[in-house]
Amino acid sequence: MTWPLPLGSPKRNVNEKLVDTMPHENDKQISPHDLALQAVTRRHFFQQCQVGLGSVALASLMSNGANVQAATPAANQSALKSTHFPAKAKRVIYLFMAGGPSQLELFDYKPKLQELNGQVIPESYVANKRFAFIKKDAKLLGTTRKFSKQGQAGTEMSELLPHLHKVADDLCIVKSMATDVFNHGPAKLFANTGSPQFSGRPSFGSWLTYGIGSQAEDLPGFVVLQSGPRGPRGGSALWGSGFLPTSYQGVPFRSGAEPILNLSSPQGIDSNRQRQFVSAVNDLNQLRLEAMGDPEIATRIAAYEMAYKMQSSAPELMDISGETKETLELYGVEPGKPSFANNCLLARRLVEKGVRFVQLYHTDWDHHGTPGTELGKSLDERCAEVDRGCAALVQDLKRRGLLEDTIVMWGGEFGRTPQGESRDLIGRDHHIEAFTMWFTGGGIKTGQTIGTTDEIGYNTTSDRLHMHDLHATLLHLLGIDHLKLTYRFQGRDFRLTDVHGQVFQKLLA
Amino acid sequence: MMNGPQFLVLACCVLCLGQGNLLRGEESAKAVDYLTEIKPLLAQRCSSCHGAETQKSGFRVDSATSLIQGGDTGEAIIPGKPAESFLMHAILGTNGATRMPPKDPRLTDAEVDLIKRWIEQGAKAPEGDKPLAPAEIKNRNHWSFQPIQRHPLPKVQRSDWSRNEIDAFVLARLEAEGLTPSAEADRVTLIRRLSLDLLGLPPTPAQVESFVSDQSPEAYERLVDHLLSSPHYGERMARQWLDLARYADSNGFTRDQPRVIWKYRNWVIEAFNRNIPFDQFAIEQIAGDMLPEATVDQKIATGFHRNTLFNEEGGTDPEQFRIESVVDRVSTTGSVFLGLTIGCAQCHDHKYDPISQREFYQLFAFLNNADEPKLEVPTPEQIAAGAEAARTELRKKIKELEADFEKQRPAFEAELAAWEKTVTEEQKTKLPILVTNALNLGLSMRTPELTKPLIDYFKAHEIARQKFPMLQQISDLQAKEPTFITTLVMKERDKPRETHIHIRGDFLRHGIKVAPAVPAVLPAIPAEVQQPTRLDLARWLVTPQNPLTPRVTVNRLWLKFFGRGLVETENDFGLQGSPPTHPELLDWLASEFVANGWNLKAIQRTIVMSAAYRQSSKFRTDLAEMDPLNKLYGRQSRLRLDAELIRDVALAASGLLAPVVGGPSVYPPQPAGVFDFTQDKKPWIPATGNDRFRRGMYTYLWRSSPYPAMTVFDFPDANVACTRRSRSNTPLQSLTLANDQTFVEFAQGLARRILLEAQGDDTSRMIAAFHWCFGRNPSPAELQRLLKMLEEQRATFTTDAAQKIAPPNLPSSIAPTEAAAWTAVARVLINLDEFITRE
Repeated sequence: MTWPLPLGSPKRNVNEKLVDTMPHENDKQISPHDLALQAVTRRHFFQQCQVGLGSVALASLMSNGANVQAATPAANQSALKSTHFPAKAKRVIYLFMAGGPSQLELFDYKPKLQELNGQVIPESYVANKRFAFIKKDAKLLGTTRKFSKQGQAGTEMSELLPHLHKVADDLCIVKSMATDVFNHGPAKLFANTGSPQFSGRPSFGSWLTYGIGSQAEDLPGFVVLQSGPRGPRGGSALWGSGFLPTSYQGVPFRSGAEPILNLSSPQGIDSNRQRQFVSAVNDLNQLRLEAMGDPEIATRIAAYEMAYKMQSSAPELMDISGETKETLELYGVEPGKPSFANNCLLARRLVEKGVRFVQLYHTDWDHHGTPGTELGKSLDERCAEVDRGCAALVQDLKRRGLLEDTIVMWGGEFGRTPQGESRDLIGRDHHIEAFTMWFTGGGIKTGQTIGTTDEIGYNTTSDRLHMHDLHATLLHLLGIDHLKLTYRFQGRDFRLTDVHGQVFQKLLA
Repeated sequence: MMNGPQFLVLACCVLCLGQGNLLRGEESAKAVDYLTEIKPLLAQRCSSCHGAETQKSGFRVDSATSLIQGGDTGEAIIPGKPAESFLMHAILGTNGATRMPPKDPRLTDAEVDLIKRWIEQGAKAPEGDKPLAPAEIKNRNHWSFQPIQRHPLPKVQRSDWSRNEIDAFVLARLEAEGLTPSAEADRVTLIRRLSLDLLGLPPTPAQVESFVSDQSPEAYERLVDHLLSSPHYGERMARQWLDLARYADSNGFTRDQPRVIWKYRNWVIEAFNRNIPFDQFAIEQIAGDMLPEATVDQKIATGFHRNTLFNEEGGTDPEQFRIESVVDRVSTTGSVFLGLTIGCAQCHDHKYDPISQREFYQLFAFLNNADEPKLEVPTPEQIAAGAEAARTELRKKIKELEADFEKQRPAFEAELAAWEKTVTEEQKTKLPILVTNALNLGLSMRTPELTKPLIDYFKAHEIARQKFPMLQQISDLQAKEPTFITTLVMKERDKPRETHIHIRGDFLRHGIKVAPAVPAVLPAIPAEVQQPTRLDLARWLVTPQNPLTPRVTVNRLWLKFFGRGLVETENDFGLQGSPPTHPELLDWLASEFVANGWNLKAIQRTIVMSAAYRQSSKFRTDLAEMDPLNKLYGRQSRLRLDAELIRDVALAASGLLAPVVGGPSVYPPQPAGVFDFTQDKKPWIPATGNDRFRRGMYTYLWRSSPYPAMTVFDFPDANVACTRRSRSNTPLQSLTLANDQTFVEFAQGLARRILLEAQGDDTSRMIAAFHWCFGRNPSPAELQRLLKMLEEQRATFTTDAAQKIAPPNLPSSIAPTEAAAWTAVARVLINLDEFITRE
């Protein structure tokens, strides 16, 4: 988890510059012992400290402009002193539709597929291809959904997303997404870490907070929210920090008054008593610090103060009852009722507080065609669950001026096949060659649809956007050169995009 | 993209074109001479990447034999058939091949034509054409590949500090930098340090007292020997080994179903406690099943490589994930024993180290021939009672009844389907979690494994029992069946699998076939071993000639005792790793280790007996300037305790610890909501009684949602081998220690102990509590602050609030407010930095 160090850290708000200067020694009298200790402490933060700052924030701790590289351990030298380019976006909200929503029912309308409905897919498409469930002689499946052009740009969208129609011109829809692997666990991991194996690679949010830190003062820099009937397949590895220090991992926020595990004080301990507890712990830790001189103890003192603050700041964040009636109506949420839309509103509240990366999982998009996973009623329900919240989030961020430098993105780990899957009801199998995601916000050229697919929607035919390239592009928008954000592990400089990745220019404003 | 046949057509066109353009009558007839025309040409244009020095893609061009043999993707030349020869495609860039040479100048048309004609004419060359030079192994002289040398002890100026050989090396280095070592730590610190390092548990106040008052010069040594003989030593060592073994109690990936493999954990604990030599320890884990007359224990040991993940997601290809497991086994073997990042060579030659992709798959071939069964492990009592024979008999009867049932299966399935329709959402919540999970799956998502709980549940259902009476009979007989504990093991197949290179790591793209072999840069397997097996690999890993395994192993031990390895990159002894800070010391330790028969206790004894180990961990401004990372060991390091040890010291201080060694994993309480973020809800019924208070290492480990109080303190995720844990310091840790129910229970346990066991006034009770937690007296300032806290709490606790936090079931003579005030103090003590730190 990532937070700025509280040692004299000034109050920051979200609009401040990424790199701000820390105060120099303040006016109060400081003993020589304290000075020596502070010197050690400062150096320590560069050398060993894993409280979870990116070096941007780290660099700002230096009051004398000393060379950061010299003071940073070899393993961490690539954490950034400042962004590589001016950042167009400062934070990301990733609406992850777990299971793989069907682009063919939502965004990518194919008249030819309608025409060929019920015919076996031509062999030229499926030679040398593997699928999770369907066979090579599966039949093509047209959609029953109606499509229409929306907004000034005439963006094609299906009837399943009526609220999203309203923000059509704020979106950039990419129909030519592609990924590498077709099982859920590996594909989710791939979308998040750039690797399909559970091999300890850091997730996007971890790379980002490692690279540029967080602006959130009393909240983690990387927060994960979840809605739907179950958690996403793959579990904690999806927001893990891999070989990066654990402090960069995503922190799951649960719904309700206690979003973070162990946030509430024990029974019988009220806030006042908790304050007394923290004071006693820290006074005694201070005595230990004086005896041993280990700056790690100073970090722990800071951690206890921060934890205490979080005990009130996190529930405050989760409590949406202070939002206007109009806002609640916009999202279609009621205080105290968990939902995807509720999480969208929380996402806005989190980025307002300076959280760097918020990821929302909404599960159960795996529409194979069994009861509960079919492209009829089940898909209606999934769409109804997310449609209003997504649109509201875009509108709400926009009117607050936050959309300018916040990326919002929507999509699953893969899409679904043009072939139908013959189960009890109608469905489609996992598809990695072409699927759709949408993007909006900081630095993204909106009001456009990018990429085309062939006449049945099987392959991309232009502007293929592979997951690795998406990662490179997102980092670029955040001011980071994906080639330069690296971490030395097992003798190799790793990066999010591994040996791949090219910035996808068409997405950029 | 074009598919295969399209490419081939295009490639043929290019070749034909070449013919039309280039061939003039007189040249096409002329015989091409290999020695004067082909060999020099290829040597000049290709050998910088495909010659004696480097063989990219396992291919070299400087002899006719190696040309025809080809590289990792297969043969390069089919004599007489240029259109089918990979070499031609490579120099033309056709048929999907990357054009060679990759940069200008390319081969001229005339040169291409020459090669083509030579192939056409049968690729003739003098028999026994030799390469220009034998293959060179790059970077063979890198330090870690050199034999271990025993250097003479360095000369030091100061004569009153060293206690053994280690100190001479450490001191010489410090003196060279003009630094002095730190003073020896006080005795309380020493016993706490030793106890935490060797057992993972703090000393009791009585142990501290006896050590502090023992004035004999042998007191320290006696303490070390005492600790090394404790059964908890095996636990401490085992948990560190389990990090390397990526041990967990579930299969990982999406479903993350439970698995039973704790017998392997037991084996590791016992192996350390019996102090079996490390070479034997390694051999049994890699290939115990292949040892002559392998014992059950030796088979259990092979669980080491069964700790890989297993994907149970619907629609997966089992072979794909079997291969991924083998890849992981190769990488893990590399990092655990050799300290090499062999895994980097899965898709291409290692970028830095002398390990080719071919060598990766040669190692893969050793590990590719095992089946992966479950082993049943009857207890000695079961064996004596003839339980196995009894079960065979019962099973025979059951089988007959099951055959009867199978005849009626369609009827059973119809009943099940009918029943499913009647289950309401509310009823679902009351069913066992795995049954509910199965019910919630769509029909075609149901794999046999996932529906088993549902079918088993319905077989026991009233409806089924009435309609199918044999089910009752079967279950009656099954109830009599003895059950045996199982564990996952390796079992070598009679007929080995073929191993091919996987081109770019893709298991569907086979390159050439390879046989088991070890990397050429390391000592070879003895020539008399004809067809080396997994057992030969295991033995090779721990031959005294292997320079890496001993170095890597002692370095990891050093890391444990000093917080930093002599080679800082403990998982990378290759070219990109950091060189040792004290190379002679590393080699001295490695040679000592091997010379003493790979004796783990002995080498650790030597380390902790040193003056270097015994130093104070107090910060020094001079060292902070000169050696801020403490690479020269001018003091000891303060180390935050490992995740599971934080639980252990709290258990010990609160007097709640159930010191049972070994056994299945247990379920201590964890906060609600842990499984909100997993695909399936996991069964987790908090243990009552002893199992609630077991050491952290026995906590059940779900890979998709590991125990939060341990993850927050950097417990590894068990997906890949973890050779070193990070040590973070975050507010989430503070929340855990402050508020987690488990730690509140520990605080209550400590308070109960204070109230019932400590004597005297507040001050003496406080001192007793301090001793339980830290083994020392509080300073006056510490004592004063704690007493202030106590007073503050006493004065303000209402009875109502007090009853919520006070330890349960105290004698009624103790007022709840008094008990609550002490609990509040106890809570402070177990939250202090010193409590979770080894000085």
